[in-house]
Amino acid sequence: MGPVTKKILVVEDDSTTAEYVAKGLGQNGYVVDVAADGRDGLFHATDGNYAAIVLDRMLPGMDGLSVLSAIRAAGIETPVIVLSALGSTDERVKGLKSGSDDYLAKPFAFSELLARVEALQRRGALAAQPLATKLACADLTMDLLARRVERGGKRVDLQPREFRLLELLLRNKGQVVTRTMMLEEVWDYHFDPGTNVIDVHISRLRKKIDDGSGIPLLHTVRGAGYMLSDTA
Amino acid sequence: MALISLAFSLVIILPVLLFVYHQTDRLYEERIRDRVQDGERDMLFAYASGGLPALVDSIDDVIGTGAMRGGVVLVVDPNGHKIAGNLAGWPPILRTPTDWVELRLYREGQTGAELFAIRTVGLRNGERLLLGTAIEEREHMRAALLEALLAALLLAIPLGLVGGWIVLKVTERRARAIGNVAGRIAAGDFSHRLAAEKETDEFAILARAINAMLERIEELVEQLRLVTDSLAHDLRSPLTRISANLERAATTSADIQQQALEAVSLDVERMLRLISATLEISSTEAGTGRQHFEQFDLADLLRDICEIYTPVAEERGMAITLDEPEPVTYFGNRQSIGRAVANLVDNALKYGGGSISLGAADHGDRVELWVADRGAGIPSEQREHALVRYRRLEEARTTEGSGLGLALARAVARLHGGDIELLDNQPGLRAVMTLRRGPDNLSSL
Repeated sequence: MGPVTKKILVVEDDSTTAEYVAKGLGQNGYVVDVAADGRDGLFHATDGNYAAIVLDRMLPGMDGLSVLSAIRAAGIETPVIVLSALGSTDERVKGLKSGSDDYLAKPFAFSELLARVEALQRRGALAAQPLATKLACADLTMDLLARRVERGGKRVDLQPREFRLLELLLRNKGQVVTRTMMLEEVWDYHFDPGTNVIDVHISRLRKKIDDGSGIPLLHTVRGAGYMLSDTA
Repeated sequence: MALISLAFSLVIILPVLLFVYHQTDRLYEERIRDRVQDGERDMLFAYASGGLPALVDSIDDVIGTGAMRGGVVLVVDPNGHKIAGNLAGWPPILRTPTDWVELRLYREGQTGAELFAIRTVGLRNGERLLLGTAIEEREHMRAALLEALLAALLLAIPLGLVGGWIVLKVTERRARAIGNVAGRIAAGDFSHRLAAEKETDEFAILARAINAMLERIEELVEQLRLVTDSLAHDLRSPLTRISANLERAATTSADIQQQALEAVSLDVERMLRLISATLEISSTEAGTGRQHFEQFDLADLLRDICEIYTPVAEERGMAITLDEPEPVTYFGNRQSIGRAVANLVDNALKYGGGSISLGAADHGDRVELWVADRGAGIPSEQREHALVRYRRLEEARTTEGSGLGLALARAVARLHGGDIELLDNQPGLRAVMTLRRGPDNLSSL
């Protein structure tokens, strides 16, 4: 990851899950603090300088969403991912409304959580910069205003959704974007599309931007999703 | 129980007996009064026609012939002196006229006082007339009546007890029949049913209600068993593969390890998907999701789904066409409905064939969405099965998929007051999802 070690706060009362998440994040270069209840979590959140907070929805002492409200009320803008065992897309809406930046239903795959944690930080970094009108990865460029995409100086014609899909990948350049993240961001549906739906869309996009070029940019990350990167 | 039925019969019998007593008493009283009034009328007639002498004659006549047996009669002059009659003098407390009083009086020639019902009337020249009849007799009759009624009551008690006992036995026998069936069911045998006679008595009604309840319970238990069995079955194969792949990963080269772990990760993902779908069906069936209804265009939703799945269809040599619908504004859970339609399309892609068509129609109080294909379809007798959670059709077992798609779609339709119907598309399958427009929806328009 980056040159500066990033700290993540995991607020989760189930020790098995907490350990699993902490271990995974640790292996990916993060320093992880674990809080086992809402109060402790809130204390840590207001105190430490975290890159992101992973917050369980149901906690002893103080409910996850209350913790979230308290964090936001204290003016702390750390990105928060809410975890929930309630397992329905509706819970997601509630979580997002109470100020979380993303939401993940249990059971989840660790790769999904990791991809989302990284995307959140990316988003935070982008928000700090003036609004970009041009995105690029190697010789692939996207002009957001002209809605024009070029690969090696040659224009690539994309459908509107393909354009948004590529934009999402470019904004998360060098990082994994999962299939569900794509469905959410590009089509605004929060379900698992099941069959290889997203894969087919990606393979079409790949054909358009990578075919005929020496270096492939759109990579498949096995068991996780896809990544746009100029290094294989 | 027998005591309760006895008490109940007494509660009914007592007022009846009291009524009989009261009525008999009243009739008797009326008869007595009629007799006195008849005598009075005769005497007043005598007085009117022949004056005081005629009245005195009439009184003497009555006393002499014994026609006033058990009665009293007296006429006094304006000063209260006796003119004729069988009383020694005018009772001082009696005024004239008096309509019926009861008094104890001594008749001439009698040693004891007797109870009389008495009337007095003033005559034209200031004389006063008193007429009365003994009602001692009435007291006897009352006593006799009471005795008879008491006897009836005493007879009612054993009869009530016996009747109560019989009713008790019959009730007990039928309650026991219900209890026995309930007991067998508690012991795990859900196939028992109560004998529901065609009669319309309370027990037959109860038996039918209980049978209906048992039917539903058996269905739910069967469903639960099916879900558990199928979930276990569907989890077993990936778990077996995972176990084999992990063994492989533990013993061989880095390359094979990589392959094995990727296979493991794929299987885990498959299982997570299965569990998520199961959880989602449960929560949808429980009705969560109503609080997230929003207004949106179903035609837009169909276009989205169409766009998402078109590349997949093309890759399989199929096509998706949208019967370009008019905007259909609907108030519901957009995410769930999107997912349901996606599942129907996904199913059509997997099991159907040829061209898949999507469409929507607005019928005012309800909206219809359909997904139709030109594949082999589902035999009509198996269509209901296909909609039940986990009841994947046997031919479909071999195909990749959890078999939860249709069940989830049906749960979503039901969340919106509708249902899913599987129809023959001649050839192929036509899945029609009906969504209702309820009062909620109307108020939001």
